[in-house]
Amino acid sequence: MVNVTTNAVKQQEKPINMSPFAIARRKFLRNKLAMVSSFFLLAVVIVSVLAPYITTQDITKVNIGSMSLEPGGEHVLGTDKSGRDVFTRLLYGGRISLLVGVTCTFLVILFGTVVGSIAGFYGGFVDGLLMRFTDFVLNFPFLVFVIVLNTILFGLVNGLWVLIGVISLLSWGGVARIVRSKILAEKENEYILAAISIGCKPSKVIVKHLLPNVLSTIIVQATVTFATLIVAESALGFLGFGVPQSIPSWGNMLSASQEADVLRDKPWIWMPPAIILTITILSINFIGEGLKDAFNPKSNR
Amino acid sequence: MNKVETKKGSVQEKGLEKETLLDIQNLKTYYPVKGGFLKRTVAHVKAVDDLSFQIKKGETLGLVGESGCGKSTTGRTILRLLKPTEGKILFEGKDITNISGSQLRKARKDFQMVFQDPYASLNPTQSVGDIVSEPLKNFKKMSKNELKEEVLDLLSRVGLPPEAYHKYGHEFSGGQRQRIGIARALALKPKLIIADEPVSALDVSVQSQVLNLLKELQGEFDLTYLFIAHDLSVVKHMSDRIGVMYLGNLVEIATNESLYAEPLHPYTQALISAIPETDPSKRKNRIVLQGDVPSPQNPPSGCPFHTRCPMAKEECSKIKPALKEVKPGHHVACILY
Ligand SMILES: Nc1ncnc2c1ncn2[C@@H]1O[C@H](COP(=O)(O)OP(=O)(O)O)[C@@H](O)[C@H]1O
Ligand code: SF4
Ligand SMILES: [Mg+2]
Repeated sequence: MVNVTTNAVKQQEKPINMSPFAIARRKFLRNKLAMVSSFFLLAVVIVSVLAPYITTQDITKVNIGSMSLEPGGEHVLGTDKSGRDVFTRLLYGGRISLLVGVTCTFLVILFGTVVGSIAGFYGGFVDGLLMRFTDFVLNFPFLVFVIVLNTILFGLVNGLWVLIGVISLLSWGGVARIVRSKILAEKENEYILAAISIGCKPSKVIVKHLLPNVLSTIIVQATVTFATLIVAESALGFLGFGVPQSIPSWGNMLSASQEADVLRDKPWIWMPPAIILTITILSINFIGEGLKDAFNPKSNR
Repeated sequence: MNKVETKKGSVQEKGLEKETLLDIQNLKTYYPVKGGFLKRTVAHVKAVDDLSFQIKKGETLGLVGESGCGKSTTGRTILRLLKPTEGKILFEGKDITNISGSQLRKARKDFQMVFQDPYASLNPTQSVGDIVSEPLKNFKKMSKNELKEEVLDLLSRVGLPPEAYHKYGHEFSGGQRQRIGIARALALKPKLIIADEPVSALDVSVQSQVLNLLKELQGEFDLTYLFIAHDLSVVKHMSDRIGVMYLGNLVEIATNESLYAEPLHPYTQALISAIPETDPSKRKNRIVLQGDVPSPQNPPSGCPFHTRCPMAKEECSKIKPALKEVKPGHHVACILY
């Protein structure tokens, strides 16, 4: 009968009949920076997806007659050293960069969540085994592996899907660890014991009771992962180990700046992908922050 | 607390002829303590250390003891939410100690729990309707309408309005949340309910309401209770018999009347003397125990209470006294008897 007072404090004033997710959504919609970022990201996605309808320029054909043209006229953002239209390549590049980002993020979150939640829920031997495996994956030399695999498989399989597969397989470790630690903490709550005692199967306990309560963490992790993987794709592209040059991506467009004269005298070739990449990453991070804030029960915005 | 009606007595009298619902034999539950850099088990927390008792159908057994003496562990082990280290749990004569998987899931229909923490015991992402209907969905094939009707009926039985159906846990007070937890436990019409300190987190003003509700439901649904509390005054109004726990052991178990009229174990005597008495003529000398409760990781040899017992003799640290029937239905574990 002692600990009566503490519980009264937990009672916060909250709108009637709203699930925790409805509350989070409302908070997010009121966050200006996050909303602006969301609209920007949405615009980038739409423009990239609709690229074929926006521009009719060829993205691969080398055009000797119009190499390194300055912006203006027929080529809004000029052309690169092979005479390809930068604006067109930027739109198509967005498709690839976003495709790689979204697909890899989806796979990484899927693996990470499955491994992390099973390890966290069962604990003991299963946990030990899965976490040993996770450590192994985390300690894998990412860059070396991507480069080696890409070289071996080059020409055998479509380079894009090899890249997506390799990035995904090597990147879920961090998510698995975070999800596991969240699940470990969450399963201490009595509602998990209650779920078991009313006859829920382990799979149901995980999917219906644990995951919805760590979903905020997973969503925030997804945004962080998304940003990180777009950067990773670009970095690989810049180094020349990413998506094959025949397919434009923001990363391999950036690699043009490795040539000194391009970097110094022809900024229209590398600035557009650099700028769009930077703003996209920033938006994703702002959205991530906004989500984190929205899911935090202590923040009242 | 005084608003709680005292037991009508009917169940108690019949209790003796009634059959045993739950039979606990030498139950032990140890938590492993991991240590060292290889995370090996280096020691055990002996949270429940050799517990035996029975509960008859329709009876309420109160279980009291200080915080940390292993009451929750006992309750959770009986419901097989924890794996017992040793001993036997017989429910309606069936051994449920080692069943697992779907067999255990099916058995769960008959025993449910009301939890201590009204906040942590409800999933914050589920509405009340989801929470109370889930046990039914797990065990029965019911149409949506039947399900909703059943849930609304359960809600009204525990004193919640139909509007509660669409709301979420955070919109309710502690007492109401505990009612939601009770409705969930009742949904499957279990035979046994273990109530683990169901009111200790509640405001004193609502404690008696919840206790009265539990009593009403016992008659309505033919329930048997294992009622856990850290406070004798709460247990007194609820129980037919009371067991007193100390450091994972049962030190005394007797009928309500017998225990209060003549507490035998020195620990029980100390607990009873600590109950605030409003009637000055009945005030007793309070027995204040010296020292702290020893760690269950390294319990004392012999009688677990000897380090604090005012009556301890030399042999108390050597022999662990077994629970002995001193008077009909009154068992105590102490060498003095
Ligand atoms: N999951 C756990 N791991 C290790 N020790 C535990 C765990 N749960 C409880 N204990 C310990 O077991 C003992 C009994 O705990 P508990 O059954 O919760 O007691 P009570 O419900 O009587 O307060 C305490 O010493 C407690 O610290
Ligand atoms: S056995 Fe000894 S130490 Fe234990 S309660 Fe009895 S008198 Fe006290
Ligand atoms: Mg407890």
